[in-house]
Amino acid sequence: MSLVDLATSIEGMTLRNPVLTSSGTYGFGEEYAAYCPVEALGGITLKGITPQPRLGNSVPRLAETPAGLLNSVGLENPGLEEFLKSYLPKVRKLPTAVIANISGFSLEDYVEMARALQRDSGLAALEVNISCPNVKHGGMHFGTDPKSAEEVIAAVKVETNLPIIAKLSPNVTDIVGMAQAVQRGGADAVSLINTLLGMRIDIDQQRPVLANTFGGLSGPAILPVAVRMVWQVSQAIDLPIIGMGGITTWQDAVEFLLAGATAVSVGTGNFVNPQAPLEIIQGIENYCEKKGLASVRELVGLAHKGLVT
Amino acid sequence: MLTEGQVVGHECFGDEAQRLRRLVLKGPIAKSAKPGQFVAIQVQDSRVSSFDPLLRRPISLAQISPDQDEITLLYRIQGRGTEILARVRYGESLSVMGPLGKGFSLPEVGELWLVAGGIGIFPLYALAKSALAQGLRVRLFWGGENQSFLESAGLSQWQALGVQMHLSTLDGSLGQKGLVTEELQARLSQLLEQTKQVGQSSTGQINVATCGPARMMQAVTKLCLEFKVPVEVSLEERMGCAVGACLGCICTLTDERGTLIHKKICQDGPVFRGEEVVWDVSC
Repeated sequence: MSLVDLATSIEGMTLRNPVLTSSGTYGFGEEYAAYCPVEALGGITLKGITPQPRLGNSVPRLAETPAGLLNSVGLENPGLEEFLKSYLPKVRKLPTAVIANISGFSLEDYVEMARALQRDSGLAALEVNISCPNVKHGGMHFGTDPKSAEEVIAAVKVETNLPIIAKLSPNVTDIVGMAQAVQRGGADAVSLINTLLGMRIDIDQQRPVLANTFGGLSGPAILPVAVRMVWQVSQAIDLPIIGMGGITTWQDAVEFLLAGATAVSVGTGNFVNPQAPLEIIQGIENYCEKKGLASVRELVGLAHKGLVT
Repeated sequence: MLTEGQVVGHECFGDEAQRLRRLVLKGPIAKSAKPGQFVAIQVQDSRVSSFDPLLRRPISLAQISPDQDEITLLYRIQGRGTEILARVRYGESLSVMGPLGKGFSLPEVGELWLVAGGIGIFPLYALAKSALAQGLRVRLFWGGENQSFLESAGLSQWQALGVQMHLSTLDGSLGQKGLVTEELQARLSQLLEQTKQVGQSSTGQINVATCGPARMMQAVTKLCLEFKVPVEVSLEERMGCAVGACLGCICTLTDERGTLIHKKICQDGPVFRGEEVVWDVSC
């Protein structure tokens, strides 16, 4: 039995450990069941849903980059109604904290989905995606203008009794300003970071690789950007941060915790190693033990104090 | 499942100029794998861990040997990932996810016609072995660039299977000069004539399975629909997770009502019924 307490909590959501999986990389929670038991995870974040079903963008949707991956899936999802009917009854039974992720094209879209998803739905929290880079006006507008971000968070907050996590885009000049805005709007936590906008060109075809031209960059390549943003935001707001962006190993996860994240989330790392979340949980535990920490919560933001012994 | 596959064979397959490799991995995957399924291999030098390339490489199963606990993968070196994979040596191990996806369905009786374009031949070899073991008659239509390619990509192994073959090459150096679909069309027409002569209304118990370039499979599907022969196609697309979680490798199909839908090639496929596929979106 471990001497380290791995449990953590995010404003009304209790997690058995601080390791989650990221929206868009973990389907609706069942796809990885054969590789990684969900009951071992702190929680999972479901594929983003929109009020209406969406087929998303054309293929190619993926382009590999050095230690990274560009994607332009374009929010393909079954829509709110089908989610409630066919997916929610299954995911609510999963023995882990299940976080739904919602995206919209207007304030009304977000409000409609928040209204439909309440605590009695069996979900642990609602992640509000105001940062999808792959859809025209796919929430990105809400994620790059502080005033709009504050408004959309405030609007969903009054509609649901679930904790609200604002997922922020790194494609902004001032990430701190955005984080402060969603705090003012009433967010209970922030997820940092979504993907970085990028593109690649096929030099034989002399055309963009992705059918959608641009895509969101994820994977180890973006980790330093994400760690920096978590570091800055943790100094500026009081909300818990779910740190993500390129986490593939336990060492990566520990960096985020030290930078000020209360929990971490594994996304593209699952594609590389479907057991990465398990190895990360174990690695964090071993690290805490080695450093003489009784709880993983003691790690949060420790690098700011320069006190790691 | 996620396993460590031990490399028990890794060598140049055919003429070096064709850049083909044969990789044999030992592990439990062979016991549960079916023809048409694939594995996702972590491509990295096992001695130095690296995230470049980041993603696993999906490779189809060319041979499944449950008795030896071995799977054989044939691939062509055509990018950074396969360049690195090609350096993996005997005795080393590779992280393997699989068997993944849904494979070809094997008809219970009759004839199975295989139509391959280029290295699309590789997964069809495992299928031919299973079909023959089940007592089906197998016929191969295979088109490639030239004689050197066909000989390098396993022609002698196919000859050893004793199946009837219709070869075609673009330059005419072996078999018929032209496209594999021309051979298929000729043979289907001939068969239809024969069945008409004996008073039957259809070409009987023939099933087609095809793998190759999308345009070729589209043409094969069109022919099969024309001749009312069931056809299965094996699709390909850049993959992310390989388990249906990321929606990177979707294809467009039509459902029973004619509505356009997306399916995941990695999880719902890679094998689909030809008539379901909306080719002009998928390729």
